[in-house]
Amino acid sequence: MDEELTIQFVSEKNVHGKLALLGYSVEAIEAAHRLNYDFVVVAPEDFVPILEKDNITALGWDFNKISEDSYKLHERLSALNVRFTVPLYEETVEWAGMINSRIHNNPRIFNKFLLFRDKAMMKRKAQMSGIRVGVFEEVDNREQAFRYFDRIKQVLNEEGEDLASPIHFKPTQAAGSVGHVAVKKKKDIHELPEKSFPCLAESHLNGQEFSVEAFINNGKVYFMNINQYVHLGYSQFTPASNFLFNQYDNILSEVEKLINAFDFQYGVIHPEYFIDNESNLNFGEVAARVPGGHIFDLINRAYGFDPFAGMILCSDPMSTEEELRNFFPKPKEFKGYAGNVLVYPQRKSVERLEITDDLLDHPYFEKHSMFEPVNPKVAERVGFGDHYGTIFFFGDQSQEMKETLQYFEKEEFYV
Amino acid sequence: MNETQKENNQIQRFSDSFKQALHNLNEAPAFAKSRYQTEVFRLATALMDSDEGMSILYECAHEFDSAGVFHGGPWERATELIPSLVKAGLKGEGVYPTVETLSELRMLAIAKEKYNHKEVSSVEARKFLIRTIALNLELLFAEPTEESRKRPKVFARAFRLFTLLKNEISLDGIQKQLLEEIEFLIAQRPIQNIRLQDLIIYVGKLVLSPQTEIECKLYSYYKAITAPSVHTKKTENDSVKYRSLLLELDEKQIDEEITAFIDSNFQKIGLSHPCFAVLIRHLCRESPDRIPHALSLDDSGQAEFEKNKEFCLTLIKVAIFPSTANSIYGFSRVLQRNLLSRSEIKNGLKKLIELDIHTDMKKLLMDNQEKNSGLTANSILMAGTLSVLGQPLGVRQGNNPTCQAARGISLWSQHAPGFLLQIITSAARNNLVEMYFEATLLKSNELIEETPLKLDNERLDAVSLIVVPHLNKIYNEMMKRASYRGEDQHKWVNPAFYGRWVSKGFACVFDVTLGKITHYKDFVRRFFATHHPSFNGGNQLVYPNPVGIFVTDIHGKLLGLHAISIQRIKSFDNKLRVYFYNPNNEGRQQWGNTIKTTVSGHGEKPGESSLAFNEFTSRLYAFHFNPYEEGDAYAVPGKIIEEIEDVAQLSWGQSYTWEN
Repeated sequence: MDEELTIQFVSEKNVHGKLALLGYSVEAIEAAHRLNYDFVVVAPEDFVPILEKDNITALGWDFNKISEDSYKLHERLSALNVRFTVPLYEETVEWAGMINSRIHNNPRIFNKFLLFRDKAMMKRKAQMSGIRVGVFEEVDNREQAFRYFDRIKQVLNEEGEDLASPIHFKPTQAAGSVGHVAVKKKKDIHELPEKSFPCLAESHLNGQEFSVEAFINNGKVYFMNINQYVHLGYSQFTPASNFLFNQYDNILSEVEKLINAFDFQYGVIHPEYFIDNESNLNFGEVAARVPGGHIFDLINRAYGFDPFAGMILCSDPMSTEEELRNFFPKPKEFKGYAGNVLVYPQRKSVERLEITDDLLDHPYFEKHSMFEPVNPKVAERVGFGDHYGTIFFFGDQSQEMKETLQYFEKEEFYV
Repeated sequence: MNETQKENNQIQRFSDSFKQALHNLNEAPAFAKSRYQTEVFRLATALMDSDEGMSILYECAHEFDSAGVFHGGPWERATELIPSLVKAGLKGEGVYPTVETLSELRMLAIAKEKYNHKEVSSVEARKFLIRTIALNLELLFAEPTEESRKRPKVFARAFRLFTLLKNEISLDGIQKQLLEEIEFLIAQRPIQNIRLQDLIIYVGKLVLSPQTEIECKLYSYYKAITAPSVHTKKTENDSVKYRSLLLELDEKQIDEEITAFIDSNFQKIGLSHPCFAVLIRHLCRESPDRIPHALSLDDSGQAEFEKNKEFCLTLIKVAIFPSTANSIYGFSRVLQRNLLSRSEIKNGLKKLIELDIHTDMKKLLMDNQEKNSGLTANSILMAGTLSVLGQPLGVRQGNNPTCQAARGISLWSQHAPGFLLQIITSAARNNLVEMYFEATLLKSNELIEETPLKLDNERLDAVSLIVVPHLNKIYNEMMKRASYRGEDQHKWVNPAFYGRWVSKGFACVFDVTLGKITHYKDFVRRFFATHHPSFNGGNQLVYPNPVGIFVTDIHGKLLGLHAISIQRIKSFDNKLRVYFYNPNNEGRQQWGNTIKTTVSGHGEKPGESSLAFNEFTSRLYAFHFNPYEEGDAYAVPGKIIEEIEDVAQLSWGQSYTWEN
C-alpha cells in the first residue's frame, strides 16, 4: 500500500465535499485525519467540546432520539458540504441510510439500511434471496415464545421437557449479541426480561461459526477477511485457519449473494455464518458498521493495514478502483494470525488482577488491556461487551493460536 | 534459564515494548492520545514492579510531556500539581497510581535537570518532591500498614518510587518541611490526631542527633510523645512498668515527672504520652492537689477544679487511661472553660458514667478503639465527650460528606454544651436523636433515607461516631421538608437544626427557582452591612454564624458547597480577617486566585482557619443575619463590591448563569 498515493487521491476528492463520521470513535477519527479527509464528526453532545478542543469539526446529535426533526441532521450536514457518511455504531446505521438516501435522492437506500437494524427483517430478506438460514420466527411476546419452543420440540421429536440443543432469542433491534439468550428449558422462557421482546427466535445451528468483514465499494468486494470464532464472544482469530480459509471462494460467493440481496453499495458489512462439515453455509446475521470484539485490531495486526481507513475509503463513492486496489492487500498476504481473548471475570466479586508469567512469557502474547479492578462487584455482562480487558496474541500457526486462545480463555486473571 | 535471567529478559521485553508504545504515543495526533496512553500505562505498571524497570522509566521521563503521557488528564500541567494530592494518587484505584508515579518521575527529571521544563524550574521541582516525601514518610520508610498488606503490589511500586527519589535527590530540607507540617497540624488541634502522631514518630528516623534549630524543635516533639521524662525513658514507655515505678518514687521525683510532662508541652501540642495518663491517675489516688498543676491550669481552671474536685477525680477515673491519654488535653480545656460549674453539664456528664449504652453503639465504640485496652464503652464515650467539650474547633468530618453534622457538634460544644450532652446521651442509650422541624418531631430512627450514609469511621472521634449518622438523617429530612419553597432551604433548616440563636435573616446568592445567581452585588453589600465592623453599626457577632461557601480548587473551579461557621471577624496586621471553623480534615486550603486559607500566623486560635475579609466574601454563598442589626449597606464603596464580584465570577461563578 502506498499511503502517499492514497492521501493524494483524497486531497483531490476533498474539493467535492466532506466526510461525516457518525458516532465517536477515536480510531475512525485518526484514520480520517491520517488519510487527510476533510471531515466532520457527528457525536453525542458531550463529545463536542472535547473534539473542538482539538480543532476537529464536530456536530452534536442524539442518535437515540427519533422525531420529525430527524431530517435536520441531513440539512446541517449539507450546510457543511458533507457528501458521504460512515456509520460507526449500530444505532447510527439507519441515520447513515437516511442521510445517504437524501444525498442521492433515493428513498430506497434508507429502506435497505433499515434491514440491517432488524434481525428478523434481515433474515427474511436473506431467505427470500435464496440464502440458507436456520428455522426462525418473529416473536412478539412470551406466549409466542412458548409456542415456538413447543413447535421446535415437536419438529425435533424430542423426549422429555427440555431441548437437546437450545433455541436462541435475540431482540430484534439490538446490536450484535446484546440481549441474546439461549434457552434449553421451557421454564427459562419465564425468565426472559420484558425488553427481550419483540425478538427473533431461532433454532440452533451446528457447526463452526465465523464472521466476515467485507470491504465494499460500488457493490464490489475489495477485501474480505474471515474471522474465526473459537468461542463466540470470548475468543477469535484472524484470518481463519485453513479449514475455513480454503473455502475462501465459496464464502466470497455467499457474501456476494448477501450484497446483492441487500443491494449494499458502499462500506463494510460484517455478516456471521455457520459452516457445517459438508461446507454448507448458514447465514446468521449481518451488520453494516465497525464489528465488535476488536476485530479491526486483529485485521490490522494480521494484514498490516488500518481497517478504519479501509472502511472510510470504501464508504466514499468517489474512491477509484485504482485507489482501492492500491490500498488493500491480497487475501493471502497476511503476516500471521492475530487473535484475542475478551477477558471476563469468572467470579461474582473480584479483588485484584493477577497476570501470570504463563501469559507474559508466551511467545504469541503481544499486549493486554486489563487493569486493577476498581469495583469488586463484577458488572453484569451486556451482549459481549463490558469485558474487563482484552488480551492480544500474534503468531504464525493457526492451530497453536486456537489452542492458546482456548487455554487463556480459561485462566482466571481477576481473582 | 535461571529465575534472574528470566526476570531480566522479561524486564528487557517490557522495556522495549514500553519505548515502542511511548514512540507510538508521541506520533499520535492530540485527539488520539488517549488511545495510545493505555498501552504506555500498562507497560509502565509492569516496569514499576522492579527497581530496574523503575530506573528505565526514569530514564525516559524527560520524554513524557512531549509524547503526551499526561495529555488530557489532571496531571497534564506540571505547574498545577500539588504535593498534598500525591498520596491520593499513589494509593488510588486502577490506573491512577501508575500515572501519579510517572508524574513524580517527570518531576524528578526536572529536578535533576535531565528535562528542561518551560514552566517548572529544577529548584521548584525539587521543592515539590521534598514536600511530597515529607507528606508521605510512610512510603519513604516503607512501613507496612493494614492498607499496604491489602494491596501489596500498589504499595511495593510506591515504595520503589520513593527509594528512587531518596537515592536521586538529597533529603536536605525535608526536616524543615516536616516541622512545618507538624506545626500546621498542631495549629489545627484536631481531636483525632493520628496523622500528627505518625508524623512525629518519623522524626525519630530522620533526626538521629539533633543539631540545627529545626532538628532540635522536631526532636522536642518527638521526645514529647516518645519519652518525655526520665522515668518514662527508664521504663521504655511501658505503662504497666511505669505504674509500678511511680509507687516507688518520692514526692520530689513525682514533681520532676510532672514538670517533665508539663515541659513536653501537651497543652500546645494537644497530644499526651500514655504514661501521662498513668501519672494523672496516680495523682488522683495519691495526691489530688497536684493535678491542677499537672494539667497546667490557670487560676480560673484551678478554682474550677477545687470547686468540683470529687467530680473531677471521678472523671479521671472513668475517662483518663493510657489509650485515651489525648483527652487529658480536652479535660483540661473543659476545666478552663468552667463547664463543670454549670449544672446541666455536670449532670449530663454524670449520666454518661453509668449510661446503659445501646448494643449497636457499644459495638461501634469498642470496634473503633485500640484492641485490648480494657476500656468500657462508657469510658471511651466519656473520654470522647471531654475532648469534644474541650476542643469544639477540633471536631472533624473525616472522610464523610457530613460537614453539617460536624459543624453542629462544634457549634453546640461552644454554645449549647448541655444540649450536646443530651444528644450524645440519647444517641448512645436509645440509638435515637430527636429534633423538631416546624412543630413536627423528627425521630432519627424512624427516618428512611434513599441512599443511607455509609460512615467511614476511620478519622472520627467517639462522639461523632455515634451522633453523626443520626444528625445526618435529621438534616437530610429537614432539607427535604424545606424544599420547593422557592428559596434556599438552609433559611429554615439552619435555625431548626442548629438552634434558635441562628439569626432568622438569611441571604443567598441563588435564585433557587431559576437556578441562577441573582442580585449578587446586593448580597455582598448585605454581608458587609451585617458583618464588616466599618458598616455594620458596631453589632458584634454573638454566636458563630453557620454559613455556606463555594469550595473551589486551586484553579478557582467550583468543587461544591460546604458548611462552615464564622467564629469571629477581627483585624490582624491592620487588615480585616474572617476567622472560621472548617470541619474539613485540612484547614489549609487553596481556593484559587491566590486565596489560601491559613491556620496559623494570622492570629488564628487553635482550630480556626482564616481569610482576608474580601477574599472570604468572594467564596460565600449564604449567611444568616439579624434583620434588626443591619448597618449601612449603601455606604459600602461600589469599587470593592465590583472587585469581589469579578473574583467570584471568574471562579465558581463560571459554573452558574448570572442574572444582573
